[in-house]
Amino acid sequence: MLGIPNLVDNVASNQSREIFWDKDVYNLELERIFARSWLFLGHESLLPKPGDFITTYMAEDKVILSHQQDGSFRAFINSCTHRGNQICHADSGNAKAFVCNYHGWVYGQDGSLVDVPLETRCYHGQLDKAKLGAKHIRVETYKGFIFGCGDADAPSLEEYLGEFRWYLDTIWEGAGGGLELLGPPMKSILACNWKVPAENFVGDGYHVGWTHAGALMQVGGELAGLAGNRADMPFEKLGFQFTTRHGHGFGVINNAAPAIHVKRDGWAKYLADTRAEVGRKFGPEREELYVGHWNCSLFPSCSFLYGTNTFKVWHPRGPHEIEVWTYTMVPRDADAETKSMIQREATRSFGTAGTLESDDGENMSSSTFVNRGTITRNGRISSSMGVGFEGPHPVFPGIVGSSFIGETSHRGFYRFWKEMLDAPDWKAVKANDDTWDSMFTNRNYWNDKVDAAE
Amino acid sequence: MSGKQTLAGLDVQSAIEMHYRSEVRMLQNGQYREWLADMVAEDIHYWMPIYEQRLIRDRRPDPTPDDAAIYNDDYGELKQRVERLYTGTVWMEDPPSKIRYMVGNVEAFDAGDGEFEVYSNVVVYRNRRQLEVTVHTLGREDKLRRVGDGFQVFRRKLLIDARVTQDKNLYFFC
Ligand code: FES
Ligand SMILES: [Fe+2]
Repeated sequence: MLGIPNLVDNVASNQSREIFWDKDVYNLELERIFARSWLFLGHESLLPKPGDFITTYMAEDKVILSHQQDGSFRAFINSCTHRGNQICHADSGNAKAFVCNYHGWVYGQDGSLVDVPLETRCYHGQLDKAKLGAKHIRVETYKGFIFGCGDADAPSLEEYLGEFRWYLDTIWEGAGGGLELLGPPMKSILACNWKVPAENFVGDGYHVGWTHAGALMQVGGELAGLAGNRADMPFEKLGFQFTTRHGHGFGVINNAAPAIHVKRDGWAKYLADTRAEVGRKFGPEREELYVGHWNCSLFPSCSFLYGTNTFKVWHPRGPHEIEVWTYTMVPRDADAETKSMIQREATRSFGTAGTLESDDGENMSSSTFVNRGTITRNGRISSSMGVGFEGPHPVFPGIVGSSFIGETSHRGFYRFWKEMLDAPDWKAVKANDDTWDSMFTNRNYWNDKVDAAE
Repeated sequence: MSGKQTLAGLDVQSAIEMHYRSEVRMLQNGQYREWLADMVAEDIHYWMPIYEQRLIRDRRPDPTPDDAAIYNDDYGELKQRVERLYTGTVWMEDPPSKIRYMVGNVEAFDAGDGEFEVYSNVVVYRNRRQLEVTVHTLGREDKLRRVGDGFQVFRRKLLIDARVTQDKNLYFFC
């Protein structure tokens, strides 16, 4: 494939630098990852009423997502079937129909072609409108979060999330109200490969103390101790890292959910008031996750920080550029003041002018652009931190690493990335369902650790 | 803004323009602490709302300070942003980047009680590392009050023109 053997080495836990640079790799990603995976489109809270719509991306495809009269959600490609003009240029709104500006063709909320100007006089009644609907996209929702998929053979969204739902339910359902998103999103262009921020959010607890040292010292509180990555921190006791079959993963810092928020009374109280119910429904391990701080990515390109509550999509624009969209996650049943404060704090830390997020931009772009050089590009990058200190766990599904500072979730992310790129179709992916985690060879890691602790 | 406002008069107009010029000089020189202490009032609301692209027929109201915003800060929050730049561990600013402001179309109106409403246009050029150049244009709506023989801003609303920011970040003051 592509003359680049071994883009990802699961045994040595490293990757070719071409994965951040090469155009052919990127084109294959568009086909085999973005056109086949479930991609985040929105949340019910962004289009709560019938007729509400938003426009968004699925990788480089423009999409309209619309709330139907029957309460369901439909999505279709934002391009006219006449001469291909973009149908809708608004970010959001409420519309019974979408009219193409070029010659005035009219599309319904579900993307069907309902009217064209001069249909009788100039098309002589011969236009088969039923065949000219805008291209339809599969849509499924989970706990209010709406995803789209361009592959009829993909598993259901629930199967695609798979055992990761065990984790997501903890926060997306929580004590009952669950989470919603606040928009409108911030949008910005960043000159980097989409995987750099995706891997950063899925599993990079390591960079926090170094990259964000300045901001952490300003914020103070629980995470200030991470500034400078001091060797005396008991990292093994501070959290875990998780990865799952379809590449989704996260790291958790225990008891730190609102740590980045300076004004946090409402959010901290909400967590304190609801954690017991989460414990009752989901058990003590998940109650711990509920009050922890997560850095998470849903494969491929959607990431969030639970606790800080920023929510991001990394829309790819070629191998060397992305468009970042940033929303805020808030509990649906929190009071309006708490929601607004969470939004302000999440934006101050992780928005376009974020006190932490602004630290990361150059890491993202320079990890991509150094590979302009051929000698540089002919090398590999490493994600071996904590290899062997991870494995299947008696309680947590997937593969669990022993510390939130490790690269367990990177390994899981790139393991699935390689699997998708190698597979000609979803059937070939499903054939690996029983053996996917065999690369994590220390099968007794957690049993031994639990025994030793007793 | 309505056409009924009273122009502040040439002496005030030029005093405010001079105030803006020294504000720009401080920000270009990295004198953020001095800027905050001298030119920003402690009851500041520093706000950069997020405007969506909406159809003209859309009747939803404009964003308020309860809605999404890139900046939505009080004095203490601005101070955190300023102090971060003095920690010595903001790697993106070492070596430091450059910023240059062009402020124009300053229009000052008298709001009574020694307060003024001032509108201006701002062009921001940023250069960093070897070749990075980014440009931003903003409209600025200020409320200033007289303090001593100068002014302090106590409301600042920044209207950024681009829907999608073509820059790594918007971490600069205006
Ligand atoms: S291209 Fe849309 S109506 Fe002609
Ligand atoms: Fe970061």
